[in-house]
Amino acid sequence: MTTVIMRTTARAVVPIILVVAIALFVEGHNLPGGGFIGGVLTVTAFAVLYLAFGLDFLERGVLGRDVEPGKEPSRDRVVVAYRRIFEYGLAIAVGSGLAPLLFDLPFLSQTYWEFEGVPIYGTVEVASAMAFDFGVYCVVVGGLLTILSVVGAE
Amino acid sequence: MPPELSIVLSAVALPFVVAGLTPLLYRFLGEYVGYAGAAVALTCFGLLASQYGTEGPVELAWIPSLEIAMQFYVDGWALLFALLASGIGTLIFLYSPAYMHGESHLTRFYAALLAFMGSIIGVALAANLVAIFLFWELTSLCSFILIGHYTEDESSKYAARMAMFITVGGGLFLLVGLLMLSIVAGDAIGAAATFDLVAMLENPEAMQQGLRERGLFVPVLLLLAVGAGTKSAQVPVHFWLPNAMAAPTPVSAFLHSATMVKVGVYFIGRVRPLLVGEEWLFLFATLGLTTMTVCAIMAVASTDIKELLAYSTASHLGLMVAGFGFTSVYGAETGVFHLLNHALFKAALFLIAGIIAHEAGTREIANLSGLRRDLPITAAMTTVVALSMAGIPPFNGFYSKELLFEAAVEASHYHDIGLLGLLYPAVAVFGSIFTVLYSLKFLSLFFGERPEALGHVHRPGVTLLVSPAVLALLAAVVSVRPQLAIDAIVQSGVDATAVDPHEMHVGIPTSYSPAVGMSIVTIGVGLLAFPFYDRLHDGIRAIPHTLPPTSANWWYDAIVGNLTGAGAWFGSRVHNGLLRTYATWTLLATAALALAGFVATGAVTATVFGLETPLAIGLVLVVAVAAGLAVVTSDSHVAGVLTLSILGFMVAIFYILGSAPDLALTQLVVETLVLLIFLLVIEEIPEYYEVSLGEYARDAVVSVAVGATVFVTVLVATDARPAGSTDIAEAYANLAVPEGGGTNIVNVTLVDFRGFDTLGELVVVALAAISILTLIVMRAGGTGGADGTAPIEDSTSRTRGDDE
Repeated sequence: MTTVIMRTTARAVVPIILVVAIALFVEGHNLPGGGFIGGVLTVTAFAVLYLAFGLDFLERGVLGRDVEPGKEPSRDRVVVAYRRIFEYGLAIAVGSGLAPLLFDLPFLSQTYWEFEGVPIYGTVEVASAMAFDFGVYCVVVGGLLTILSVVGAE
Repeated sequence: MPPELSIVLSAVALPFVVAGLTPLLYRFLGEYVGYAGAAVALTCFGLLASQYGTEGPVELAWIPSLEIAMQFYVDGWALLFALLASGIGTLIFLYSPAYMHGESHLTRFYAALLAFMGSIIGVALAANLVAIFLFWELTSLCSFILIGHYTEDESSKYAARMAMFITVGGGLFLLVGLLMLSIVAGDAIGAAATFDLVAMLENPEAMQQGLRERGLFVPVLLLLAVGAGTKSAQVPVHFWLPNAMAAPTPVSAFLHSATMVKVGVYFIGRVRPLLVGEEWLFLFATLGLTTMTVCAIMAVASTDIKELLAYSTASHLGLMVAGFGFTSVYGAETGVFHLLNHALFKAALFLIAGIIAHEAGTREIANLSGLRRDLPITAAMTTVVALSMAGIPPFNGFYSKELLFEAAVEASHYHDIGLLGLLYPAVAVFGSIFTVLYSLKFLSLFFGERPEALGHVHRPGVTLLVSPAVLALLAAVVSVRPQLAIDAIVQSGVDATAVDPHEMHVGIPTSYSPAVGMSIVTIGVGLLAFPFYDRLHDGIRAIPHTLPPTSANWWYDAIVGNLTGAGAWFGSRVHNGLLRTYATWTLLATAALALAGFVATGAVTATVFGLETPLAIGLVLVVAVAAGLAVVTSDSHVAGVLTLSILGFMVAIFYILGSAPDLALTQLVVETLVLLIFLLVIEEIPEYYEVSLGEYARDAVVSVAVGATVFVTVLVATDARPAGSTDIAEAYANLAVPEGGGTNIVNVTLVDFRGFDTLGELVVVALAAISILTLIVMRAGGTGGADGTAPIEDSTSRTRGDDE
């Protein structure tokens, strides 16, 4: 799959996918989108990268590290990083659920605030569910990428 | 006077707490940790004794949202049983350090013994059905650990597994019975009484009526009888109890004499006022008398002193069950008084058996005789307790057996039971004759000629003697002044278990009555038959040898052996390490369950559906179907995956047309990702492989079944929501903006309203990632079987008969 066409396309498409994914995530509360969809789309971007450039591209080409051939995928530093992402994601989701307990509210209660007079945007609404959604995003990205890279490495 | 919650609670909780601390205590005390156990048991005894004379419920909120409370009820009956458990527990803990000297795994032993005692006290005091079941199963669990104490020993493991299998299995019957009771109680007495045994006992008429109206009376009675009968080793599941003698002797003394096996009897006494009636009499009197007779005969056939005592225990449990089975007040008196008497003499006898085994080095009856010269104190104690077991006047066993005879004779006066009115007293006498025989046999170990083969017999240490001596002394006190025990505790126990309690009196009979005649026949025939003991012994032993199906153990081995074999066969078929087998079974099972569920609930109805689908949707679906056909006919994997994606994308477009943009987005993104993953792994799949016709047929069946299930499910699910606007859907739509502050209802539902569900799904994603990681790592480490089939060990094919 590592053809020139594929690589050229990937170079153009991957940034766009990532931006769209982030937009979907941020807009999720009011428009179609959200943590889950944003997360899966982000994973798609990485999957395109893997397809076009191979599994070691991230470490060698982007992060500039050396990769020893033939090592276990589970020990791979990138895989470890993915695993951390979903671990932290789970922690964020649970933590955002626990936070309301401090205010004597039930587990996972959500609220939102509106800020007026913000430059450029005008009125901005921030929902506390955003934090939970970010946890969802992280778990989806981390979990799926772990699966993808481990299975892909086989 | 009501009892104190804190005291009752600490009496139940203390053994468990100390059981948890046992490893720590063992580090400081070593083998003497048993004495710490004795201190705990004695403390529990003291706490319970301080509640003497109180009566009433106490409760502690446990799961308030389900109205389940840690509810305890203290009355004479509960106190009698709890005091017996903690009192004899104290003596067992005193006896154990000397007996278990030098053995390994003492931490586990004492921890399990403490937890065991705690759960017995729990069963005695619990008044909430859920709590009763919890403690009930805890006793089975602890006894499993205790019976299987010698983990290296095959017979120990076999006995532990058998006890677990039977008592826990019976416990499940009990659970169903208790649930039925709770349902009826909720209707008949009120929602607050759903799990409240005290409320049920206070309204027996309402409960009986409620049970009978629903036709549940006999089922509940049978279910509770199975639960109690398995626990108390009633025929035909009596055989686990003699096998359980594989446990160390202190455990046998505790488990067989005072506690676990009596839990069933205790429970029968507990619910007696609730369910007593003609069915009750027929069920429990028959069951109890059969057990009493069969096990007494088996005891005569025993060759090992512990086996003799174990069968005799089962026989005496039968006596108590039969006592409670008789509906007259004598029945309740028999059950309660014999529970006390039996605990005293049988615990002592087991401890004496332990001394004999410990000092003489053998438990074979044939090799033991004339021990009184070596063990004079033990011989004196044995005389009291063995004669008590035989029911010889004036020893305490006599009084309770006399009450049984009385109850058996009275039975026909209370209910019209025809021939059974004669049969019950006759069987009671017949069974008791064997009781006299084996009791005398046990006593004869100490008399007669000392065999040559018997080596030097040590004198037991004081620590071994104290516990049986205390028990024998108590038995002697009850023998001399039975009224003392009755006034102290038995009377209040009878009040709690009888329907029409009246003041109880026992004593040596001074005038003739049918019961006295029965006692004379029993003892007379027993004494006359004793010289022929050996011939009887050999005759009974020959029966299971010539006819194996007469032995209950044979049935157990056959059933469990076959189950194990069938399980192994089934496992090798279903769990053969091939992914496609798992997929086939899982998919077919899911489809069958789902379809059966729809049929059972009548959800599938003939639905008339019109074809007013918009043209656009129709077109999209036609493309999707075409793509589906193309998948099947494609000749390369890449083509197959690509055409499958067409199908997926068409579904996404269908969602957009059906105005579900969120679903469509998700479908699009997931479809893309799946396509990419397929492309990643596709190179690994072989280009072409041989598929037989049979496999084609199987795959066709599976796919059609799954497709049909999904189709029906969609139809049923959408049909159940007419016009797409249930109350819930409307509420979500209306509340999304004011409550969640978001205009995307789907997302607000996911993160605001149903956040907990989403959290669960996150955990699933994380678990999937972790398990795939683990799977790959494990394979890399080479720990998985190469061919995926683990050898299945068949360890229960071994057989072991009653007659061993």
